[in-house]
Amino acid sequence: MVRSLDLHRDEIIPGTLYLLILKTLARSGELHGYEIANSIQRISEDVLQVEEGSLYPALQRMLIKGWVTAKWGTTAGNRRARYYQLTAAGRKQLAVEMSQFERVIGAITRVIEAV
Amino acid sequence: MNWLRELARRIRMLVNRRQFDVDLEEEMRLHLELRQQDQIESGMSADDAQAAARRRFGNVTSLRERSNMAWGWEWLEHLTQDVRFGFRILNKNLGVTFVIVLTLALGVGANTAIFGLVNGILLQRLPVPAPEQIAALVIQSGESSLGALGFSYPQFVEFREQTAPICEVFGSATAWRLNFTAEGHSDTLTVGGVSSNYFSALGVKPALGRLVLPGEGEHPGEPAVLVLSYAFWQRRFGGDPQVIGKQVRVGGKQATIVGVMEKEFRGQFSVFEMDAYAPLSTVFDESSASNFWTSRDIHSMLVLGRLRPGVTLAQAQSRFDVVSRRLAAQYAVTDKDLNVRVMDERLSRPIPYANNAFIVFSGLFVILGALVLLLACTNIANILMARASVRQREMAIRAALGGARSRLLRQMLTETMLTTLLGGIAGVTLGASLSYLASSTHLSNIPIRLGFGFDWRVFVYALVAVIFTAISAGLSPALRATRADVNTVLHQGGRADAGGKARHKVRGDLMAAQVAGSLTLLIVAGLFVRSLRAVERMDIGFDPNQLLNVTLDPSLDNYTRIQTNEFYRSLETKVRALPGIQSVSLAASVPMGNTLGNQSVYVEGRPVPSGQRAPGVFFNDVDPPYFDTLRIRIILGRAFTDADSETAPLVAIINETMARHFWPGEDPIGKRFSLISDAGPFVEIVGVARDGKYRILAEDPQPYFYVPLTQHFTAQRTLQIRSSMPPELLAPLVQHEIQALDASDPIEEIQTMKESLGGTLGYFIFRLGASLAAAMGLLGLLLAIVGVYGVVSYAATQRTQELGVRMALGASPRQILALLLRQGAQLVAAGLLFGLVGAWALTRAMSHMLVGVSPSDPLTYLSVAALLSFITLLACWIPARRAMRIDPMVALRYE
Repeated sequence: MVRSLDLHRDEIIPGTLYLLILKTLARSGELHGYEIANSIQRISEDVLQVEEGSLYPALQRMLIKGWVTAKWGTTAGNRRARYYQLTAAGRKQLAVEMSQFERVIGAITRVIEAV
Repeated sequence: MNWLRELARRIRMLVNRRQFDVDLEEEMRLHLELRQQDQIESGMSADDAQAAARRRFGNVTSLRERSNMAWGWEWLEHLTQDVRFGFRILNKNLGVTFVIVLTLALGVGANTAIFGLVNGILLQRLPVPAPEQIAALVIQSGESSLGALGFSYPQFVEFREQTAPICEVFGSATAWRLNFTAEGHSDTLTVGGVSSNYFSALGVKPALGRLVLPGEGEHPGEPAVLVLSYAFWQRRFGGDPQVIGKQVRVGGKQATIVGVMEKEFRGQFSVFEMDAYAPLSTVFDESSASNFWTSRDIHSMLVLGRLRPGVTLAQAQSRFDVVSRRLAAQYAVTDKDLNVRVMDERLSRPIPYANNAFIVFSGLFVILGALVLLLACTNIANILMARASVRQREMAIRAALGGARSRLLRQMLTETMLTTLLGGIAGVTLGASLSYLASSTHLSNIPIRLGFGFDWRVFVYALVAVIFTAISAGLSPALRATRADVNTVLHQGGRADAGGKARHKVRGDLMAAQVAGSLTLLIVAGLFVRSLRAVERMDIGFDPNQLLNVTLDPSLDNYTRIQTNEFYRSLETKVRALPGIQSVSLAASVPMGNTLGNQSVYVEGRPVPSGQRAPGVFFNDVDPPYFDTLRIRIILGRAFTDADSETAPLVAIINETMARHFWPGEDPIGKRFSLISDAGPFVEIVGVARDGKYRILAEDPQPYFYVPLTQHFTAQRTLQIRSSMPPELLAPLVQHEIQALDASDPIEEIQTMKESLGGTLGYFIFRLGASLAAAMGLLGLLLAIVGVYGVVSYAATQRTQELGVRMALGASPRQILALLLRQGAQLVAAGLLFGLVGAWALTRAMSHMLVGVSPSDPLTYLSVAALLSFITLLACWIPARRAMRIDPMVALRYE
């Protein structure tokens, strides 16, 4: 895939993890790691079983890129948790990732339908 | 600018490293606990829930590592680990570390010192604005033995006028060792007589007062002024700003100090230290015998040019060619075939006449330095090799536990790099202090400065040397150590070395290489030393011992001819009355001095064909006792006498070479020649003197003649005194006599003949070459001894068990000794062979630097080889003897 260079090899669907995280954060605002994992799983109706831990290396890279920021807060259960939030750059990146994803999926679909 | 912000985030993470780890751990723990709680809520047991949470999360440690790695500081982390571990290892093997650091310090130190010297002399540009515009201008001359000449003053002026559109021509004529009197005491100084545009063209500024003004001092007889160099101002006047306006005497002439040169500018030559600068008229008088101002034959000016912006050397060259041709047509006799070369100022160093011998000289020493470094490298490689074999077990085990080979390799190289870096730092410090020492020593009677060229180039050079050492010495042992197969190594029981034969071979090769390198160094050193010996023992045609030279010029006090003669006559009488005086005489010039006259010689009855020039011959004006004082033998005819007066027939004494050259196979006595023209007046030859050295020590025999001072007047003369008293002690007495005769103290220079011969035209360069080469040779020898001793003693320890078995089976200690010695001797012999070949090849470049000894001098080669083989065999013998005393029982139990 186009962005595969940016990604770690043991992601389940290469290239989509960023997109999933970005989209989840865009939808829900501030989330901590566990909430992101849960949210992806719930919305995909348990189809997308991410190795939950791999969220964290991905989040580091997104922090470096400046797509997300993190700050510490407290959960509903009164535990300390690190909350991630989308930045303007992250929002822009989401649009990029979306259009790329659609282009690739569109292409794949056309190939499949042509058969 | 995105990457900048990214970098900032990465750095922030690096700084808060610890907090980052704590945060990440907490974050992951929360994740796991929340997941576990969820599972429990959906009905799992606590244990199962924990396991499931972990399963879904993945490998925590590896994820934590990956999160960490995402920030891109992995290499740094490994490096710190390696460095920390490296330091621990170094600390554990303090002795070995010390030896490596010391070895490298010597190698790198020698190299940086030499490179610093070469850098300062050849590579650094002049410390002036836009130094790249400065070009050197030299007159190419086939006739001169040195290949290139300076300009005569008239030529200089013509070129300056006629090339002005593309280049500002400026120049200087150096007066060496003028007597300088200020504040009641005297010393000698080197004065650069400079054209009036010299400083403005260079673009240098005064530190104090003013420099030479436009148009100042370009005609003889202007008031004398002096600009001091910064160093001389500091040394002589303690940096006193009141020095401006001070009246002093320089070269016997009253002068005013008008300024002090800025600190950075130390003269146009990278080697000679100028003490002061003065307009040309301060240095050269109209009455001066040399005819500086008008003669086109006296090439005293060293000329530079500042090219106008955008003008290339090639463009300048074609302009100078045009002017040269014009002048050649205009002055058919003197400027025939005039050919001026325009070149990068740095190519003309150290002086434009040197014919690039200096470049070869420095090249040779850079190679010798590299050789020393190579020897140091092989020593270090040997030590590392020994250490690597000891560490093979550790490496094999680490590899077995999953250490990647690249990581182990990196670790070993980091260790080597650390040690070599320490050695490099020590070496640069050593080199810098040597350099500093050399540059801050003001050689009292030689205006030379050395080794001030410590700049970034030297550091780059040292760094390259260190990295080269680390890689060349460290890579092979590291590769070997990490290549080890865990199975083999662990099965070997206690014996550390798994390299076996191959490793011994490498060590052997290294040892042979060391012997070869050190032999080469020693042969070069030997040749230089023998050359120095030859020069010192060389027949210079006179006896320089117990001689004092005092150069005077009373004409500066407006003495008439008669007064001058009278002054010298009474001075001679007074000096003869001093205790211990054997002989006193006067001469216009001193051998290997700087005031040598050259005259065209027209042989009677052999007119010079038209269009050709009469041959120029160097000569001296002397008085009758001269040949006695200098102990120059008259081998034919007679010496001058008092009868050869001003009114008597003109006479001359020629030397053997001149007799052979002009009157081959004839008796020269009674033959006549003229110094003026084919038509005379003629001078009659009354004697033939032995050949000697006149200009430089290394010169071939050349024609020379003497005329009586009475018949060829010069005001500037050197009083030469032979006494039984040490000349140093005599000097103040003579000075006192002179001051009693003439209160203005017309002394230009006072020094012993020995001192004078130690100068740049005398023994200095030979002594410098010999001592540098000897230092390198000794360093090489030291490294070779350490290396050979190390290899043999290590081999002996490695073979303890084998030797024990041999002894147990009945080998006598003598046989053991012979076994070890034979192997050592084979390697030494191979090394000697390669060394002889290497030295022979390298010394081809040295033929111009050696006097009285051939670059393939068999005596040097053989004696140095014999000495080296003796020493290296001794270095083999000591550890071999120790091995001979092995107790077989102990040896067999040794693991």
